[in-house]
Amino acid sequence: MAEVSTTPPGVKRIIGVDFNFAALRTAGPRYWAFVSLLLTVGVLGLMAWGTLLTQGGVVMAMRDSYPWGLWFTNYMYYVGLAAGGLVVYASVHLFGAKQYHPLARLAVLQAGVLVMMALLGIITDMERPWRAMWMLLTPNFTSPFVFTGSAATLYMVICFVDLWILLTGKGGEKLARRMTLIALPLAIYMHTTTAFVLALNKSRELWHTAVMVPIFLTSATASGIALLLITAYIFQRLGIMRFKASMFRSMSTLLATVIIMDLFLLVVEILVVFWPTSAQPGHVVRFSEFLTGSYAFAFVPVLVLGTTAFILLARRSTRHLPALQITASVMYVVAIFLKRYSLMAMGFSVNPLGQPAPPFVPSLVEVLLALGIIALGMLIMTISAKVLPLEVPEDHDEGQESPRVEFAVEPTLEVG
Amino acid sequence: MSEQPLRLRSEGGVRAIEVTNVHGTSGFGRSERLAAVGLVVLMLLLAALVFTAQAFAGRSSTGELAFYPCTECHPVTIGPDGNPTSPLPIDFEKHEIELEMHDILGEGDKACLACHDDPSRNPGMLILPDGTLVDVSGDVSRVCQRCHFEKYRDWQLGVHGKDAPKCSSAGCHDPHTPSWIYVAALPPFQGTGIEVRAVSAREPFKPLAAPPVAPPIETPIWLAIAVSLGGLISLGALGYLILGRSKR
Repeated sequence: MAEVSTTPPGVKRIIGVDFNFAALRTAGPRYWAFVSLLLTVGVLGLMAWGTLLTQGGVVMAMRDSYPWGLWFTNYMYYVGLAAGGLVVYASVHLFGAKQYHPLARLAVLQAGVLVMMALLGIITDMERPWRAMWMLLTPNFTSPFVFTGSAATLYMVICFVDLWILLTGKGGEKLARRMTLIALPLAIYMHTTTAFVLALNKSRELWHTAVMVPIFLTSATASGIALLLITAYIFQRLGIMRFKASMFRSMSTLLATVIIMDLFLLVVEILVVFWPTSAQPGHVVRFSEFLTGSYAFAFVPVLVLGTTAFILLARRSTRHLPALQITASVMYVVAIFLKRYSLMAMGFSVNPLGQPAPPFVPSLVEVLLALGIIALGMLIMTISAKVLPLEVPEDHDEGQESPRVEFAVEPTLEVG
Repeated sequence: MSEQPLRLRSEGGVRAIEVTNVHGTSGFGRSERLAAVGLVVLMLLLAALVFTAQAFAGRSSTGELAFYPCTECHPVTIGPDGNPTSPLPIDFEKHEIELEMHDILGEGDKACLACHDDPSRNPGMLILPDGTLVDVSGDVSRVCQRCHFEKYRDWQLGVHGKDAPKCSSAGCHDPHTPSWIYVAALPPFQGTGIEVRAVSAREPFKPLAAPPVAPPIETPIWLAIAVSLGGLISLGALGYLILGRSKR
């Protein structure tokens, strides 16, 4: 079908994508109140970054016992959350899961934004970020950070290229499928190398385990699907996109499956640590801190929230209820954040000299930096919800060229 | 038999040894010439290696020369009975090593005998935890293990020191005064005769008087004020989002 050049006023085509800036003019006051809230938090984050750059690491809580802090927790968390987008995208274009088709654009956008947030966490943690280029120019190939950092950067680029392909329809289904074939192994590579950052440290007992990589992959996939489900519900509630109940039910089934795999691997790991014939003193002492000691506040909720989320989604007769789906998803997204914190702390709770360290509490600057990055990510999603044609039109195949008639009538993307 | 003079010839920047007969025809084929070039390169490399070894010869962790020309100090001579004499160093009387930390092992020679075998037999042999002897070129870390078993375990696990194949206690610590550590780890004495490794400078080990205390977190006051203001603005925006504008 030939393109209809009836782009209404306010719609601007940039690199082949129709940006509906007119929708911003018609946005309600609540929309702008939310944007103002995000901007305020973002400005506070910028001020915190300025403080870090001018005053150095003394404004952060990271010391000898905790050389990695909140930024690393968030890096693992965001990289993991991004996996959900790719699972949905790959399901559509590689495995023909048509029920996720309406979600494809949103999924890829969210994945790209989350990886961008993960990378921003690394950049803002550096006290001299302009030196980051030296990691690329003179890479130390024994450090897994070289691999995970470059993979995350490449993955972010691929996500945004995928989004462009989906929005413009350029290349058709063939290109979308090819991009998935690149993105899927790259995503597995990215999550594996992120897990290797922990697993390759033999001096940190609880990190140095082969099951770290599969646990990382299952946690990432589960939390990513859960976050995507929550985002889809929010977008539907605000009238930005419409989805079928069967899609949410299918996502919930997928989520329950991945959650039980994730919990199984975690329980296996705990069993190996405490089983009498395999228990090693260093492992047992450290893990006990996370079950009954000073770190239990972070790790025990992982087991409780994870198990409860699975129980909520396990029954086929109630799995279709939106309240249960959202509750379980929120529980698992929170559980995985606590799991990432626990993972980070497991290496540092007792240092290699055997000295215990109290739980890591981030400083005000670190909290503001993290909030600022979240605000930036949410701001991109909020503006994209208005400006980008995220909703896949009915009977529109991503493989077809975009018909360009969506904005022939005034769009009604009213939020709030 | 005709005389075959040796000539050095330069071909495209490669020096080749060519043997020609008096009639000027080549006596060797291509493969022989290549072999000759290889031989020359090998000899040059060997010469460079020996030169480097001489140039960088220093003192090892035990205070001996890192480059060990053994017979210079230990000449083998034939005694009156027709047998080789004990190859003691020329003008050697006794080793005088000042112990700083290991002097607690005993007074005088007793401190030496804590680790070394009886001087009347072979002081180059060291005593292992099970009482057996090991040569200085052997696993000398196990000698240290006798007392420093916790450190030995940490080293085995790779927690303490560098878990490199050739790394040993004596590679980092001066075994006679272990509080002295080397800036760059030394390989242990391999007895190969050539150690192409310069001995690094030593740094005194300064033990901490107490565990390190982390400096406190500094938060600028202006940032706290900005956060308070930002928090108020955010609360207002949140309140508006949740409650909506009041209708009059």
